[in-house]
Amino acid sequence: MSWQAKPRLIATPVSDARAKPGPSAVATSSANVRVSNGLKEFLWLLSDSKQGRILDLGQVSQATLTFFIEKGFRVSTEDLLRAWKEFLVAEEENFRTAPVGNGVAEVSPTIFADKFLESALEYPAEHFHGVLAWDIFDYLDAQLLPKVMDRLYTILQPGGAVLSLFHSRTPERFSRYRISDPQTIELLPASTLSVHARIFQNREILDIFGKFRSSKTFVGRDQVREGLFLK
Amino acid sequence: MWNKSAEAKPSSQASDTSGPVIPAPAANTQQTPDTAAAPPTPQNSAPVHPAAPPSTIVTTIAAGLKISGEISGTTDLYIDGEAQGKVRLPNARVTVGPNGRVQADIEAREIMIEGTVLGNLKSSERLYLGAASRVQGSVLTPRIAIEDGARLRGKVEMVRASGLQFDSSAETSVEVGKAKAMSASGKDE
Repeated sequence: MSWQAKPRLIATPVSDARAKPGPSAVATSSANVRVSNGLKEFLWLLSDSKQGRILDLGQVSQATLTFFIEKGFRVSTEDLLRAWKEFLVAEEENFRTAPVGNGVAEVSPTIFADKFLESALEYPAEHFHGVLAWDIFDYLDAQLLPKVMDRLYTILQPGGAVLSLFHSRTPERFSRYRISDPQTIELLPASTLSVHARIFQNREILDIFGKFRSSKTFVGRDQVREGLFLK
Repeated sequence: MWNKSAEAKPSSQASDTSGPVIPAPAANTQQTPDTAAAPPTPQNSAPVHPAAPPSTIVTTIAAGLKISGEISGTTDLYIDGEAQGKVRLPNARVTVGPNGRVQADIEAREIMIEGTVLGNLKSSERLYLGAASRVQGSVLTPRIAIEDGARLRGKVEMVRASGLQFDSSAETSVEVGKAKAMSASGKDE
C-alpha cells in the first residue's frame, strides 16, 4: 500500500461572480468550498460499485443526492447529529415529567447511547458501499462514538469506505456539507446543532477506526483533516 | 481496493469539470386552480411547484381533523390534519400542509410535503420536500426537489418516470433494484 496523494485542501470563500448558475450558485454566496482529495479518493473507491449504496449522515442535500443518483447510486440519508439532539431533548423531557422514583431516572450516557442506537443507524449488515460521515465524529458524545463506529463498521460492506472530516481546532461555526462536484465540498454555515466535543489527535483517529483495515488522511491548509477509512 | 492501477487513480491535482449539472427549477409562480383552492401555505407559490394539469377538485383534510384508513381516488388531496393508514392517488397530487401529520405510505403522481410524514413516498412524477418538512421513510420518484432545512431519514431512489408504475398489488417497498437512475431537478436553497 502506498500513499502518494499530496494533501491540498483549500478553503476559500466563494464570491466569484462566475460561479455556476442554478441553485448551487445561490448557495455559494455564503458558503465555503474546499477541494477535497478525500472525496476524490472516496469516489474512486466506489467506482467499481454498480448501483452502490451510500449513506449520508449529514443534513439531506439536493446537491449531494443528485450527485450520487446521477452516478447510479442509491442514497440513504440520516441526519445523525440532529437525531441525537432530538433524542436527548426527548429523553430530558421524559426525565423531567417522570414521577419521582420511576425507573426512568436510571440513566447514564451509556444507556442513552444504547437507547439511541435502538432506533438509529438501523440497516442490514454490510449494506452500504460508502458512508459520508462529514465531521459528526467531532460532535458525538464520548460514550456514543464507539458504538456508532461499531454500527458503521457492521453496516458497511467489506471494501466499503467512510469519508470523514476532523477539525484540528475548534471550528468557528457549525457547518453542513454538500458535494458540488467530484472534488469539491461546500461548507454551508448552519445554526449550531451541537457543541464541538473534541479535537482528535491522529492516534485517536486511528483508534476509533481501529477495526478498519486501512486509512488515509489528507490535511488541508485550514488544518482540517479528511480521513478515508476502508473496511 | 486501494491498489488500483495508477491510470485509474484520480489525480490529486487534476481538474475535473465533469460535475453534475443540476438543472435550475423551472419557475412557476402561476397558481394552478388546485393550489389556489388549497389552504394557504407558504409554499403555494414556491417556484418548484410542478406545473400540474389543472384540477378542479381538491379534497382537504383540514387541521384538527384526523382520519384513519385507506384513501384512494382521482382527485387531489391536501392534508393539513392527521392521517393514518394508506394514501393511494396514482393520478393526483397529494400535499401535506405545514400542520399535516401523516403516518402512511403515500402513492401519488405528485407529492408535496410541508409537514411531517412517517411512511414511504412513491411518486410517479415528482416529489417536493419543503424547508419545514420532516419525512421518515423511503422515497421513490423520478424527480425530487428538496428545500434546505428539510429533514429526510430514509432511502432515496430515483427512477425514470416510465419505469415507475402503480399497480393493484399496492407494493409499498421501494426496492426497485433495476431502476435506472436519472437526474433530479429542483433547488437546494
